[in-house]
Amino acid sequence: MAVSAIASAAALGSAYGLSVDLRHRASQPSHQQATPEDWFERSTPRSPALVAQGRKAFLNSCAHCHGVDASGDEGPDLHELEGSDRYISRTILHGVKGEMPSFAKKLGSDDIVKLTAYLRSLK
Amino acid sequence: MDKDLWAKMHGATVHFPIALVLFSFTLDGAGYAFSKLAMRRGLHSAGYWSMLLGAAGTVPAVVSGLVMTKGVLLGHDTLRVHHLFAWPTFALIVGIAIWRALGRGSTNERPSLGYVVAVGIAAVLVSATGYWGGEMVVGR
Repeated sequence: MAVSAIASAAALGSAYGLSVDLRHRASQPSHQQATPEDWFERSTPRSPALVAQGRKAFLNSCAHCHGVDASGDEGPDLHELEGSDRYISRTILHGVKGEMPSFAKKLGSDDIVKLTAYLRSLK
Repeated sequence: MDKDLWAKMHGATVHFPIALVLFSFTLDGAGYAFSKLAMRRGLHSAGYWSMLLGAAGTVPAVVSGLVMTKGVLLGHDTLRVHHLFAWPTFALIVGIAIWRALGRGSTNERPSLGYVVAVGIAAVLVSATGYWGGEMVVGR
């Protein structure tokens, strides 16, 4: 009987350990490689006001997948994103096939600018 | 890779523990209830192997489910209900299988009443787990 209980506990413990590992992996940044377009392009303005507006837009549209603190949930962690501002804008607009929906219909260009400013502020 | 691969794997693998645990309960239950039956030993032997295979089948079902949900242990709404049944069911089936495997006597020996009751509970729990899993697929 004791052996059965230990086996049950071990099974649940293994499932818990696997869960922790999977959640950690899911919170890592996306495997997609961005091109270094920031060498050639102007950066998005990043005033505190714009960042604050971006935070609002983020909470409305992005937090349910990326977490309220952008550290990842169903979607990856958005801190210290690689790639240019244009790459971020294009990802928000077009989505990532099989992973993230497009927000072209929901967000205007102003919203994208604010979101980009907010995401760039995340360290 | 197919983005729905793990969902499909989970959908495929869960049916093995569900069917085998229910089958094991039916066989051992029938063998226990009809103790004078000539094929009683055969029923218990089949019940034994069904339980062991059912327990082995819980592993790919649990792993594929965890990968599919990216490690979510409980979740919300219907998924939460599904998991509240799934985790005790997983633990119980593994424990029962180990209990039976390490038990004295041969595989076709009549198990204790406590064992049969435990398998019955596991059968109910695995059915409930499957029901709530199905609700997520076809429920409104």
